[in-house]
Amino acid sequence: MVREDIIGKIRSGGPAGLAMIYEEHRDEFLHWIRKEYGCSEDDSKDIYQIAILAFYDNVRTGKLQHLVSSIKTYLFGIGKNIVRDTMRKSTRHIAIDQERWLNENLIDEPGDTMPEQLLASAKSALERLGEPCRKLVEMFYYERKSMEEIVAALNYKNAEVAKNQKCKCMKRLRRLCEEEMKRTSITINHEY
Amino acid sequence: MNTEYDIDLVERYFDNELSEGESALVVKRLKTDAEFKAVFDRERALIRSIRAAGLSRDLQLLKEIERGISASSQGTVRRIQPWYYAAAAAVVLFAVATVWLFPNRQTPDELFNDYFTPVSNTFAPTLRSETLSQPEAFMYYDRGDYATAASLFGEMLVQEANPDVLLLSANANLAAGNTSVAEEHLLTLIRDFDEYDTPAKWYLGLCYLKQGNVDKARTVLEELGQREVFYTGQARELLRKVK
Repeated sequence: MVREDIIGKIRSGGPAGLAMIYEEHRDEFLHWIRKEYGCSEDDSKDIYQIAILAFYDNVRTGKLQHLVSSIKTYLFGIGKNIVRDTMRKSTRHIAIDQERWLNENLIDEPGDTMPEQLLASAKSALERLGEPCRKLVEMFYYERKSMEEIVAALNYKNAEVAKNQKCKCMKRLRRLCEEEMKRTSITINHEY
Repeated sequence: MNTEYDIDLVERYFDNELSEGESALVVKRLKTDAEFKAVFDRERALIRSIRAAGLSRDLQLLKEIERGISASSQGTVRRIQPWYYAAAAAVVLFAVATVWLFPNRQTPDELFNDYFTPVSNTFAPTLRSETLSQPEAFMYYDRGDYATAASLFGEMLVQEANPDVLLLSANANLAAGNTSVAEEHLLTLIRDFDEYDTPAKWYLGLCYLKQGNVDKARTVLEELGQREVFYTGQARELLRKVK
């Protein structure tokens, strides 16, 4: 498949595309990183999974629009950075915390901090949001689908209806977040 | 002050819908207005949680895939082709759908055959002869020659997207097995016209069944089943079988 085709497929595709890319470069990547950096089998797989998700996210968010090299080279480059980053932070072996790495490198802005209580409330609010709102906001903010793609996937009447629904879902999410914030602050006060 | 305007402004900021001037205003207010910053931070935290949840879900998916590869490579060095995962996912989904959705073992195709009856051709004779280019299409439709009718309706629709013709054409195509054309006509009918929303949704549900797309069929039928309209009874009955 041509490189630009792959980028297009990632933007418009779902889990099947992710699985295909994962399998395609897996063996070569695992072999390379174990040989080059002496990583264990489990660490190699963890790093590969992070590299795949970073590649995917960069395509979705538009940070990666054109590949100047092959996907393999791109993935190997990310892998190299993850290993070096991990080695820099610790001289002894510590298993890689994948979710933490993904959050710190793909979601949080450098030097950007947010109160833990706010983050925990936002997480709880999302868990309480329910369907189809959760699916809708995830398609919009995570998968970066257009309103037209959301219309097709969730069967809305048109893009305007889908947009209104997304706004209503975010309104509900904000309300749930406020509830969580109040609940947590009451709990904290009771502890003292 | 935490106003609806501020919330809307912040939401549009994160959706990249602001003009340069509006974006500059947001940046300026973040430095000077603590309450506005609180609204901004809450929105940022919510979007962060949405993205973190998505990444976590995809990470679990990759771990599942990895478990599958590791399990299948034990005792064999055969390379698994990339298409295997898409095919495996489809087979699993189909198996789950068949067991869970069709406990009585009626396939979507069988349900379609049980419930599909082409819509009656009750359109006025004036419409047939004076304003449309292929009036004989109705005759073929009445005779049950749906393939010919579908072809002639198609020619008519090239000239004008008439809602009556769209509904008949969708039915003729559905009867003739051209489900993709039928789906397109029904979606156009729902999207662009108000006259036939209810029958269009009923036939769209059937069309998805014919295509084997159970999830989409269920969504459409559930919508119909929630309202008191002409097709509600049938929709609820079919939905019970689909569930």
